[in-house]
Amino acid sequence: MHLLKRLPLLAIAGVLSGGCGGGDDPIPIGLAGPFEQPRGRSMEQAAQLAVSEVNARGGIDGRLLLLVLRDDSASADVAVRVAQELYDTPGLVAVIGHLTSGATIAAAPVYNGGSRPVLQISPSASSPEVSRAGSYTFRICPSDSVHGERLADWALSQLGARRAAVIYQNDDYGRGVRRTFSRSFTTMGGEVVTEDPYVASLPTFEPYLRRLRARGGADVVMIAGTRAGAERIVATMDSLGITYPVLGGDGLAGIENSDIDAEGTFISAAYLPDRPGAQNQAFVAAYREAYGEGQLPDHRGAGAYDVVHLLARALEAVGTDREALRDYIAGVGRETRSHLGVTGSIAFDESGDVPEKHVMVGVVRDGRLVTATRR
Amino acid sequence: MRLSRRLNTIKARIAVSLGALVAGILVIALLGVAALRTLGETVTRELNDLSRVSEISNALVVTLFDALRTGEQYLTDRSPTTRTAFRIAGERAYELQTQLQGLPDLNQSERLMITGIAELQSQVEVWYSLAHAQVDLGRRSAAEQAAFEVRTPSFELLRTVQDFSALQRNRAGAIARSLQRTSEERRLLVWTVLAASILLGAVIGIGTLRAVERPLVRLEAVARRFADGDLRPVGVGKMPDELASLSEAMGRVSVKLRDLVANVVWEGERIAGTAEDFSAISEQLAASAGQISTAMIDVSSGAGQQVAGLEESTSAVDRLREATERSGRMAERVATLGDEIHTLAERYQQDVSASAAALLELGDVVQQTAGQVEELDRLSEAIYDFVELIKQISSQTNLLALNAAIEAARAGERGIGFAVVADEVRQLADSSAAAAEEVTQTLSAVRNQVSEVSSTMIAGRGKVRGIENIAQGAAKALQEIARAIEEVEMGARRVREEATTNLEAAERIKDEIRRASDAANAHASTSEEVAAAAQQQGASTQEMAAQATQLNEAAERLRTLVQGFRV
Repeated sequence: MHLLKRLPLLAIAGVLSGGCGGGDDPIPIGLAGPFEQPRGRSMEQAAQLAVSEVNARGGIDGRLLLLVLRDDSASADVAVRVAQELYDTPGLVAVIGHLTSGATIAAAPVYNGGSRPVLQISPSASSPEVSRAGSYTFRICPSDSVHGERLADWALSQLGARRAAVIYQNDDYGRGVRRTFSRSFTTMGGEVVTEDPYVASLPTFEPYLRRLRARGGADVVMIAGTRAGAERIVATMDSLGITYPVLGGDGLAGIENSDIDAEGTFISAAYLPDRPGAQNQAFVAAYREAYGEGQLPDHRGAGAYDVVHLLARALEAVGTDREALRDYIAGVGRETRSHLGVTGSIAFDESGDVPEKHVMVGVVRDGRLVTATRR
Repeated sequence: MRLSRRLNTIKARIAVSLGALVAGILVIALLGVAALRTLGETVTRELNDLSRVSEISNALVVTLFDALRTGEQYLTDRSPTTRTAFRIAGERAYELQTQLQGLPDLNQSERLMITGIAELQSQVEVWYSLAHAQVDLGRRSAAEQAAFEVRTPSFELLRTVQDFSALQRNRAGAIARSLQRTSEERRLLVWTVLAASILLGAVIGIGTLRAVERPLVRLEAVARRFADGDLRPVGVGKMPDELASLSEAMGRVSVKLRDLVANVVWEGERIAGTAEDFSAISEQLAASAGQISTAMIDVSSGAGQQVAGLEESTSAVDRLREATERSGRMAERVATLGDEIHTLAERYQQDVSASAAALLELGDVVQQTAGQVEELDRLSEAIYDFVELIKQISSQTNLLALNAAIEAARAGERGIGFAVVADEVRQLADSSAAAAEEVTQTLSAVRNQVSEVSSTMIAGRGKVRGIENIAQGAAKALQEIARAIEEVEMGARRVREEATTNLEAAERIKDEIRRASDAANAHASTSEEVAAAAQQQGASTQEMAAQATQLNEAAERLRTLVQGFRV
């Protein structure tokens, strides 16, 4: 298994060292995420779609783009290892990733360190910590604080909730969303009645939910976690007959496709496929055409798609030098025009964030995540 | 070209070698200061980094223990305060991990350890939270079960944190080793520069000593040759400007001396030649006088025989007349010879006065040379002053080195390297003083040589005076010769007069053979007188011969004297 994972790298390294200096060498771009998990699929597919679009129009000065995939299993220590592999890949110009905040933060010191730091742009790492991860680390999604604030506001103003129970995944992402949600909810007048952590190995959510009900229940259950945990929580609530409305961050995206009944779950998202605009509609159509009618891109896929096109623009402008690329990307929205992508307008601030990007709230309706309408 | 010319003086060489030494010491001092400063900065930075890491990891250990303790405690007291403390400790631990991740210079395995700590902590928190929920629901055994599940990740968490601390301790050791290596490199650099400057100073110093010593040895050899009387020209080769002027002066002295001695030798030869001529003439004169004397004795005996047998007188008178005529011719020849001698003596006198003039000139040159030698002495005095100055600088450098050693001792451990450097500098100053002393000694050797040359000059002057005396003696001898010749001439005149008188008497005898007895008596007495005159002439001639011998001897002595010089 391990050897098999290494094979593509060896093959690429062979290609690179064999054709050193030739104008037709592909330009390698790293792509790191949990591709064996459902949440990684859209990221990989949309990135490949964007690369083939760029290559179809002739690549960069005749050189094709080549994605170098590294599976980090959304784990921090695997992420550090694959980051080192990507960092050392000859000719590699940038890394798209990682998908999760934990992996992004763990891998950032590798990309920012050494004598030849390399650009890292995450399509979906929303932890506030990412802002401080280093001058070569960027992201094109709003941070968890924006998600948390948006969800707290939605719970109070649209759902009329006063008491909130928070169940969070005990990692950088979950703790980040929990922190901003609880702070905003409390600040805006609500009360956070419980805050319970979970990890994948937690055998049952039943004690948390039962205790919540014993303590007077809540107006809303906020899940600061990912789809797998949310599915178990929602299933447990069903089994206990608890019907509090469920809110979640963008980590929950994809829950609409699961077997459990997630109908009515509110999910904040940097991107929703039904986002208006011709550019997005064309993207969704191309995505469907490439991967099947039932397939829709999520915010990670749309983000990866935007990052590939943004990198193509930077490569055309300044070439393949790592430092020049980083400087160009840092100036997008200030020194050069903002990048208009399918996820919106991308303009970086000094910490590599996109402060102008808004968070939308979607809701699962008929097995689909659609933009939630205001009351 | 210009530089090499500038370097061709002892002063410049010594200045350059001292300059190189001072520059080397300056470089060493600057290097030492820079090394200490950068080392200090590095130590401070590394210690700051280390203390920051150990501060954070210590706080992390404490916080994690707090989290475990309060997590366990809530199971028994169920106090909301304990629960809050548990949550706060957990959050604080995450913050500390983030701070650790933010530190530079962490390697990949350390970063992996920190993420491992975070993951273990999150598991521990989740299991405790579950246990707390079970306790809150009154499910004591389920809570205990959950608390039991905590143990494995708890132990692993504590072990990982301890491993991380051990890693940091190792890192401290590695930093210490690297600092030590750096300080050793710096020390090596300082030693290298010190060795290089000592080598440079030594090379220039030895070069200077050689540049002074070798020409001195050559000059000494030349001076010795002069002292031994060998005045032939000799090359001394390249040498510093100061010594080059000395050698040039010596060369000029040798040329002048050589010319003069050649002159004297030539004049001596000429005197000797003249004296030989003179001697030959004198011998001829003496021989003539002998002949006259013999003739007179013959005359005398002839007169006796006349008295005995008057009958045989006619032929005797004829013989007498012939003898008398011969005697007159002889006397005339003596007179001619006397004139010749007179002319010769006069010419010789002129030669002698020319020699005397040449000798006086020689005396002047010797005087002048003595002045130049004194000038040289004064020059070497100036060099001696300069060497004195170098000695002073050396002693001040020594004092400075001593001060540096004291300062280094005050600096303690850090100053050890510099103390060694200071000691080396002090030794350098000592050897520079010793070198200056050597130059002083060499110089006094030069001055001894100079005074030796000076005394040789004085001896030369003595010799010249001897020659003058001889010349004067020769002049006096010549005067005496002239006087003797005059006497000879006077004798010859009297011989001629007496011969004439004899001739008249012979004629009268021939005419008055009868009165031959009377005439014979008179004749005999006259003959005796003539013999006496001839004898007197012979004595004068002998005296002249003696004078000629004396002159010859003087010429010989003169020749011996100038034979000492090789020109």
